[in-house]
Amino acid sequence: MIVAERKPLNEIKSFVENYKKILIVGCGTCTTVCLAGGETEVKVVASGLRIGFLKEDKEIEILEDCATRQCEPEFVTEIVERVKKEGVEAVLSLGCGVGVNFMADKLETIPVFPGVNTEFFGAAVEPGVWVEMCAGCGNCILHLTGGICPIARCSKSILNGPCGGSKDGKCEISPDVDCGWNLIVERMKKMGTLQRLEEILPPRDWSTSHHGGPRRVIREEIVSLSQEGGESTKAKEAAKEKESGR
Amino acid sequence: MPEPSIAESSYAPCITACPVHTDTRELAELVTQGEYEKALELLLEANPFSSVCGRICHHPCEENCRRAKVDAPVGLMKLKRFIIEATRDYRISLMEKMLSLPNRKEKVAVIGSGPSGLTAAYDLAKMGFQVVVFERSKTPGGLLGNAIPRYRLPYAVVKEDIDNILSIGVELITEKTIGRDYTIDDLIKQGFRSVLLATGLSESSTLNIPGIDSKGIFLALPFLKTVLSSRPPVMGKRVVVIGGGNVAIDVARSARRLGAEKVNMVCLESRDEMPAWKWEVEEAREEAISIMNSWGPKAVFSENDEVKGLELKKCISVFGPNGRFNPQFDDSDTATVLADNVIIAIGQRGDLTCVRGSNVKINPGDRLECDPKTLSTSTKGVFTCGELLTGPASSVEAVRDGHRAAKAIAHYLETGDLLIQPLMELPALEELPDETAEKIKKLTPITIELLPAETRLKEFTEIERGFTEKEALEEARRCLACTTGALADEEKCAACLTCVRICPFDVATVEKTAVMPEEKCQACGLCAAECPAAAIALKRFGTNQMKEQLQGLLASIKDKMVIRPLIISYCCLFEVTSRKFISEKSESYKKSGIYRIMIPCIARLSVPDILSPFELGADGLTIIACSEGSCLYPTAEERLLGRIRQAKSVLEEVGVEGERIDYWKTEGSAEVSWTSFWEISRRKLHQIKRIGNKKP
Repeated sequence: MIVAERKPLNEIKSFVENYKKILIVGCGTCTTVCLAGGETEVKVVASGLRIGFLKEDKEIEILEDCATRQCEPEFVTEIVERVKKEGVEAVLSLGCGVGVNFMADKLETIPVFPGVNTEFFGAAVEPGVWVEMCAGCGNCILHLTGGICPIARCSKSILNGPCGGSKDGKCEISPDVDCGWNLIVERMKKMGTLQRLEEILPPRDWSTSHHGGPRRVIREEIVSLSQEGGESTKAKEAAKEKESGR
Repeated sequence: MPEPSIAESSYAPCITACPVHTDTRELAELVTQGEYEKALELLLEANPFSSVCGRICHHPCEENCRRAKVDAPVGLMKLKRFIIEATRDYRISLMEKMLSLPNRKEKVAVIGSGPSGLTAAYDLAKMGFQVVVFERSKTPGGLLGNAIPRYRLPYAVVKEDIDNILSIGVELITEKTIGRDYTIDDLIKQGFRSVLLATGLSESSTLNIPGIDSKGIFLALPFLKTVLSSRPPVMGKRVVVIGGGNVAIDVARSARRLGAEKVNMVCLESRDEMPAWKWEVEEAREEAISIMNSWGPKAVFSENDEVKGLELKKCISVFGPNGRFNPQFDDSDTATVLADNVIIAIGQRGDLTCVRGSNVKINPGDRLECDPKTLSTSTKGVFTCGELLTGPASSVEAVRDGHRAAKAIAHYLETGDLLIQPLMELPALEELPDETAEKIKKLTPITIELLPAETRLKEFTEIERGFTEKEALEEARRCLACTTGALADEEKCAACLTCVRICPFDVATVEKTAVMPEEKCQACGLCAAECPAAAIALKRFGTNQMKEQLQGLLASIKDKMVIRPLIISYCCLFEVTSRKFISEKSESYKKSGIYRIMIPCIARLSVPDILSPFELGADGLTIIACSEGSCLYPTAEERLLGRIRQAKSVLEEVGVEGERIDYWKTEGSAEVSWTSFWEISRRKLHQIKRIGNKKP
């Protein structure tokens, strides 16, 4: 899941305080689950902003909404239509960065502001505590490292660890941070596959990560279906692009 | 019979078990809110004999209460009595309103003024029909008016119900016997379009044993009727009562009050088989009444025609293999019991005088021919209900049949056809699982001590008092509020597991989306307050209720009249001892700037609930919980404190002082401690500037 954290309200307030009518949009998926941007948080942010504006005698109308997912056209279209219909001047998204981007793409002239800081892909290790576990690098090697990711969980993302900064299972950057390579070694030891680590991993091709520019994933069977339906010219272009090797 | 107000997949068992489906659960909740008048309306809707049933109902609601598994059932019957006693004047005004009911010209005659006949009359009158009730006795009420001893049911109580029924326009003619003074045909000639036979089982059955004609032997119902008269019968020292039902108990206990020193009850049944309610048997034993189980009367022995005792034979079994009454005796095993009086209370039968001179058919065995589904007799337009139809039944069952009869008659008068009305069974909520019951806080039930036996026996005054208001509020709060729990909206639920993690009763689970099984949920509302998707609602406590109430409260303020600091106070409803705290004092609190909202358990407050007073223009918020250790729900307080911290930090983030929110726990009496907390908040807020200048 994408883990995010709500921005402080004074920061959020500075984004929207010069508009007369704003819409706060929550996201019903990841940011709901990590308690940063679901429908309840929309109410909290709306209420906090209203109180803040009341204090400054500002009259700003604050509307509330929540999309099932801010990263799907069907769900976002509803929001876009509402924005146009009700004359909303600015949108505050409590979805992750994807939601902000996706709505910005669709909203033409209306500004969209981020209400949360998007942090990482992670798991809830205990209620209320999330830890990063995947860096989304586009070339998964978890089969080689006992299911524990050196890219996401090693502070230096090194492929042949641990480094000299590993001490008592912790990383030198902070006693609160586990050494990712120590986790890999201990787990592979338990599984009896430690000898596999003797093989040195070669330098990695980072073009699948952000080094190759913005990435996309295409499922051609779905794309061609929507082409037949005559719906998606963008998808058509994308498919062509992929064929020609970007 | 009134249909339940909301269609649900299952109902609280107190509702399903009640023959008239009184919404007892809602009643308990209305009591906790101090809404006694609304509770009365609900009560009367289901049962016009609510005063009577608040005293002598066999209360299947309590017998089926799910709280029994935790500690003891909720005292629902006494709550009903409390509601009735707390709203006497309102009840009269309610009836006055009903006088303007639509008038319809059709006349209906009801024969018999017991609970079934008068209920039917009441319903028909409410529908606008012209109803006349004929009663052969001087006193209306059937057995309620003419048999049940006053220590159980004071006549004033019966009269209260009957007066109300009559006050909406039902005409009562007493001391007229149909079949003797008029026939059913006469009534039809007089313009009655329908006749309801509701004469009940008014005759005591007797025994056919040697010596039964001796002096000093009584039949139960005539005996009880004389007990109620100004010249009650004189009892000898030793009295034997034959029978093991509720009437036998009434007779035995009345005989003790009339001076009999030794009262023996003789009955065929073993203790477990006795048809009398177990609490009645217990009270009789406290009054030193002996019960000789598994004996049957063989002969009466007498001297000079005066009864001297009874010869008994052992009863070896009462019921045959098919469950039918078929007593078997061992004639060789006998006993004797001495008696100056014998009273026979072995059952009642109907008196069909009313059909004399009409063509209404009587079946062999002196039973009225009737269809239990349509309540129709063999004669078109002539219906029957109550014990004449069903055989021996309780008052509340008679009321149920009265409702059915009214429907049947109204349908007949409107369409000319018979209405098929099978008895309606509602699906009951499943039993409380053991693992849930263990987690529920035990609350001692309010028990009312009966008068001591020696005091009771001196006279026929009522032996049990009702609840005081404080007791009623406390008892009503014991209700588990079955079927009013959490409901997750599948569309919104993100399966985040928050509900599963915080539920103090381990109720919530997530299968694709959250599920809170109804039979386990305790309606504490913690999950609804914490759900990040705002996907959980409580069936009885709207999640937006707080804000709506606040808006309503604050909208009433006119600009000039605002008293600053304006403080909203959320107070736990479960602390009050009188509804004066809930409603009557609200206005005087407002004059000092305190706008109070009562909540059944403030642990239900969500962060938006805590913030909304400020956006609506309040200067401060004072949250007052119940006293230490009183909260019904484990972990509720720490969860609430977490939400208060969150709300304070939101305020701080926009430059508003978090200290505007105060949290207290009641100490000692709610009224005194609340006022002092408000004073502290007020003093503090005087030092803090208002939030902006614009809101009222």
